[in-house]
Amino acid sequence: MEAEAKDQLVSIEKPALAAPPDWQPVIIGILCNWCSYAGSDLTGTSRIQYPPNIRIIRVPCSSRVDPWFLIKSLQASADGVLVSGCHPGDCHYISGNYYARRRFLVIKRLLNFVGYHENRVQFSWVSAAEGPKFAQVVAKVTEDIKKLGPLHLYKKENF
Amino acid sequence: MDYTKQIQEIAANLFAEGKIDVFVGYRTTGWDNNQVPVLIADPADVPKLVFNDKSVFNLVNYLKREHTRNKRVGIVVKGCDSRSLNLLLTESQVKREKLYVVGICCEGVTDEEGNKMQNCTECIVPNAVVSDVLLGTPTGSETVTGSYRLNSDVEVLHQKPLAERAAWFNEVFEGCIRCNACRHSCPLCYCEKCCIDQETATLYHGANTPSSAFHALMTWSMHLAGRCVDCRNCEKACPSHLPLHLLHKQNEAVIYENFQEHLAGVIEGDRGAFYKYSLKDPDDFIM
Repeated sequence: MEAEAKDQLVSIEKPALAAPPDWQPVIIGILCNWCSYAGSDLTGTSRIQYPPNIRIIRVPCSSRVDPWFLIKSLQASADGVLVSGCHPGDCHYISGNYYARRRFLVIKRLLNFVGYHENRVQFSWVSAAEGPKFAQVVAKVTEDIKKLGPLHLYKKENF
Repeated sequence: MDYTKQIQEIAANLFAEGKIDVFVGYRTTGWDNNQVPVLIADPADVPKLVFNDKSVFNLVNYLKREHTRNKRVGIVVKGCDSRSLNLLLTESQVKREKLYVVGICCEGVTDEEGNKMQNCTECIVPNAVVSDVLLGTPTGSETVTGSYRLNSDVEVLHQKPLAERAAWFNEVFEGCIRCNACRHSCPLCYCEKCCIDQETATLYHGANTPSSAFHALMTWSMHLAGRCVDCRNCEKACPSHLPLHLLHKQNEAVIYENFQEHLAGVIEGDRGAFYKYSLKDPDDFIM
């Protein structure tokens, strides 16, 4: 048992290693207040179905998303993260998402560099009017992460 | 490359003219040929100063400390050190008028075995970009003397499959003992409180577990993205000899390729890639 746990710890990206049949991914969704959060609201009020694996956190702007949030989510054994904000040019604070975009590229490449599949952390632009798009995005992210399997990293340690 | 005499002369003159309170330089250790930083406040200690191929440390680190704050300081900087000094000046951590900067046209420093350090073989900004007096002959008329290349270690890792890379980095994170020497030795980590300490439940989160190291090193390298000058103070300070430069060089490469055509700290008043944006930044990874 101990040896098996050790093996899981070493191979971060070993697909679906010992995933129980009823396993469901835990996905953290970080949404900007002005577009994506309103968009997800529209998805709900329009009665559009989307996978329930996403846990939504509302932030004022996508540039509020410190790369630390993504690192911390993965450390605390979320299986994936979705960050969503306003389309370029639509930011409530004029330029917040432009700053965020730079950070997202760097953190995405860095996580990939240290051994995370690029689909673990995903980004999207969803406006307040794009309810169906939000449902599609969540469905796609959930499907991607289900394919990758659970992130075994550090699960042994209690958080 | 030996500027011992010139530096001693300059320091002695500065003390004689009353221009500085402290001089930050290098001296040889008492027991071998390697060098350690030294802060000189007494003109009688000036003959201790040396500078040659063994002067590896980035002395700019000492400008953020208590004993040089609000004092007039003389300091020796090489090319990479001067870039970190430039960033500290831009970020209003140091006052230029309180500094006397002895810039060096660096020819590269060596490690303990006498081989040239890896960052020196790849260096494209060897001459000090900030200085009051410049020692040596500049190797080129321009600041940047070559074209940027991806670090060879990073390149090798990029060619490995994902699972192998993950296992490799897990070894690195397991090696970390969370002593935070990397952070303390970094000239650009000057915050009084640091977010990688995770103040809640410090006993647990400061522990030397791989997960804690993953969190700390990744967050730290993101805070230095677009600012790291590749002086490798962190690596020299690391008791576990972790290849910390990999994370920084990876970020530097992404930033250089996508956002800006210059390295951190080369341009005076430039605050780093995350403080500005362009409408043409890559967008293809976002759904």
